[in-house]
Amino acid sequence: MASTQHVLLSPAELAYLHAALSLTPPIRPDGRAPAQFRPLVAETGILPGTNGSARICFADGTEAIVGVKAEVERTRLVDGATAGTEWKEGGSARGEGEDDDGGDKAGDSDWVELTVEIPGYRDDDAGTAFLAAMLSEALLADGAFAKRLWINRRFHWKLYLDVLLISPPLSYPLPLLSLTTHLALLATRLPRLKSEGDEDPFFDDDWAAARHLFPRSSSSTTKESARPPVTLLVMAVGNNIIFDPAKEELAVADVALAVSVAEDTTAAATTAATMDLDDAAAPAARSLRLLSIRTIDPPSRLTPPGVPNAANSAYGATTAQKQPEARTAEAEAVEGVWRAPRGGAKPLVMAALVQKVLEKGGVADEILDALDAVDLG
Amino acid sequence: MPLDTSAYSLALLRVDGRRWNELRRIHAQIRTQAAADGSSYLEIGHTKVMCVVTGPSEPGSRRGAIGSTGGGVGGGAVGGGAAQSKGAEVAVSIVIAGFSSVDRKRTARGDKRILELQSTISNALAASLHTHLFPHSAINISLHVLSQDGSLLAALINAATLACVDAGIPMTDYVAACTAGSTSTYAANDEAADPLLDLNHQEEQELPGLTVATLGGSDRVAVLVCESRVQVSRLEGMLAVGVDGCKQVREILDRVVREKGRRMVQEGTVEKGVGLNDMDVD
Amino acid sequence: MSDRRRINGPVGATIPPVSEDGASREVAGSRGGRSRPPNAIRKMYLKTGVTPSASGSAYLEIETSGRSGVSGLKLSCTVHGPRSLPRSSPFSPHIILSTHVKYAPFATRQRRGYLRDPSERDLGTHLEAALRGAIIADRWPKSGVDIIVSIIEGDQDRETSKTQGDESWDLMNALSGCITVASAALADAGIDCVDTVAGGVAALVSDKGDASPSIVIDPIPSEHDRILAACCIAYLPTRDEVTNLWFKGDLPASDTELYTKLVEKGIQASAKANRVLVECLGETVG
Repeated sequence: MASTQHVLLSPAELAYLHAALSLTPPIRPDGRAPAQFRPLVAETGILPGTNGSARICFADGTEAIVGVKAEVERTRLVDGATAGTEWKEGGSARGEGEDDDGGDKAGDSDWVELTVEIPGYRDDDAGTAFLAAMLSEALLADGAFAKRLWINRRFHWKLYLDVLLISPPLSYPLPLLSLTTHLALLATRLPRLKSEGDEDPFFDDDWAAARHLFPRSSSSTTKESARPPVTLLVMAVGNNIIFDPAKEELAVADVALAVSVAEDTTAAATTAATMDLDDAAAPAARSLRLLSIRTIDPPSRLTPPGVPNAANSAYGATTAQKQPEARTAEAEAVEGVWRAPRGGAKPLVMAALVQKVLEKGGVADEILDALDAVDLG
Repeated sequence: MPLDTSAYSLALLRVDGRRWNELRRIHAQIRTQAAADGSSYLEIGHTKVMCVVTGPSEPGSRRGAIGSTGGGVGGGAVGGGAAQSKGAEVAVSIVIAGFSSVDRKRTARGDKRILELQSTISNALAASLHTHLFPHSAINISLHVLSQDGSLLAALINAATLACVDAGIPMTDYVAACTAGSTSTYAANDEAADPLLDLNHQEEQELPGLTVATLGGSDRVAVLVCESRVQVSRLEGMLAVGVDGCKQVREILDRVVREKGRRMVQEGTVEKGVGLNDMDVD
Repeated sequence: MSDRRRINGPVGATIPPVSEDGASREVAGSRGGRSRPPNAIRKMYLKTGVTPSASGSAYLEIETSGRSGVSGLKLSCTVHGPRSLPRSSPFSPHIILSTHVKYAPFATRQRRGYLRDPSERDLGTHLEAALRGAIIADRWPKSGVDIIVSIIEGDQDRETSKTQGDESWDLMNALSGCITVASAALADAGIDCVDTVAGGVAALVSDKGDASPSIVIDPIPSEHDRILAACCIAYLPTRDEVTNLWFKGDLPASDTELYTKLVEKGIQASAKANRVLVECLGETVG
């Protein structure tokens, strides 16, 4: 779906775009630098009826809203974990992986449910399922996220993330949805627990006392200042690596990757400790963790090929001549005539893409800094 | 939580402190989104909806994706697809966000209630838009419900109207909608029941109510939906209050559009042209 | 969405009683080890042309680890087409792939429904990306091909307790099998490809005995204490190109060497599977 939707560009336009993007430095249709994101407007806490919400509007007009709702749910204990008693409650039969000692908080990936709504697409569309799987995969990759939802041994929070794309999908919406989800989770607050131990939980009515799901570093210890992951879309054309491609740019991509990264909390804690909580220097010392990578099937493989003059009957090539030569003509590329890319990408190119995302002070850092600046109300 | 209606007769104040003929706060914006042909955002109390209009455009490429879910009405055409129709097809799709109600509830696309809302809005707009000016084309209206607190259909109709205005689709007049109800339940069979304007979620659950939409300032009713049991004797009062409310809503919508137009002229986004002369731009 | 077309059994799981005889106790004691060297894949059996009614088909079976009650991976793939698109669909200059991956209801410990769930749709998208790079799509304008993979038996040990292993890692193994079997079926259907594509999985695992995590190929999640990261790769050996890469896990970004090594091992696993694939196709021709 969204990645492979039809782009109404002629072979000549595609060839031009491809040539412009393969120059050094590449010339992008909207004049951005290769690693530059589209400007965006972001706000959080727009919906008081949710536990956390965010809206992001990209400069090209695509807009997304994410709402987070949390509900208390009984934890399904592993069969036989407590002699005779079983708390069963629907859901899949996946174990929770909880050890016998109560101090070990363990989470289950079932505790998070993420749905993506894209206007004009069915919610069971393969592309929508792909987007949802990608976003939740990054979220759950380190296993630390689900632990945050632990209340006590019998109950946990079930977190519902509804990701809504408001505008029609003009470009592949992955970066937009990921950034919006990130902000919504940062703004998410859960009521403060008043009960103790394994009793039925009850909560503080005061919303002002609610704690953040991801506590901010200024108000809490550095150890807890983790943040949700972000997924970046990066593509390669020729030797150039281009971030946050627009739809037209994606249409000529040789390879496109979605890379999810998160801040490394353990490393941050140790550096902060050695640097005696020198917060001013902390952004420079940020280290990232790689959580997931997926190849995005670039729509370029479905673009119509151009016909070189040598094979074009309007330029003197006769059709009779063309037939037997069809196979050979197919094989050789003519300069300036668009051909859809065939085959995959060299492993080295893929490694370079990932390297570029992860490098210190690179785009991922920049994005995380920019999102840090958003006022969480 | 059941609604306590006994307190109403004491001070003539409703649960949220309004009098019988008061609307909740209506806040609206148009042109909220750069990429769309038309867009709007509307709040009635805590009911929040967003609308994005695409078109009038050539139908086809996106028909396959929307076709089955959108309630479409070919303006002026009886039967036959959009390709044969004389007027533009108005396709409405509604997405109710899972987080919009108090308890998280996921509504499937094919839900019958949503389909009915879609076809109601589609019918209402197809009648007031000049669809005959755009033959063989489609107007896609996609509505997103972000928060629900009663009067959902009314909010959706108002938001769709504003977005159509923003998209510059010629129309006869605003389709302004609001809800009306009655102060006591059907079962109470209270002869002295007063009509109420603009029900919130709590009132909607307990009291009889109807949604009415009128065509601009006139008393011509474009939509009338009543899904609850109510004594016939009360209906007329409710309808009168509802139509009166629609006039107020129309004023509010009109103010939003004029305000935006004035600002756009000031900012130089559009020139004060022939089309704007009849607006009192100060 | 509920399945309304069939009469389904009651919801809620019951676990069949497993009697604990001597053999299974012994097995339980010996579990937790990987018997293969870290850079060996399991033996596999591949045969094409198993479904006569389809244009192309293949069957893939990956060896079980030799214990009773443990199932390997059994996949069957049918390819229908290339055939012309319906008249209503718009012009396409390329062949249109549609991939379906479906677990049989009885393939895993937890019963799967008849309708595809999101994880199966997700696998389908991965498979499509992997195959689209291999197919020479512009030789069949205005046509479509359906690739249907059924996972008859998932790679799961009935006797492992639910706490061991994680189903999400099993998806990687399933995907690599899907890619290999679909590639064989495509070749059987006579659809031109630039090369045979095969799937390979490599994982970074940590075992209790080992001090530092090590990289193994073709991992079985239940054999390891913890999987830190894994990647599934679809690789075209003669062109040295990757058509699909799926990485998941948690790696420090400062050390990209670990990631590079993991991908390298994944390619190695894929190349090994490819050798089986080529041999099988060679037999069919000869």
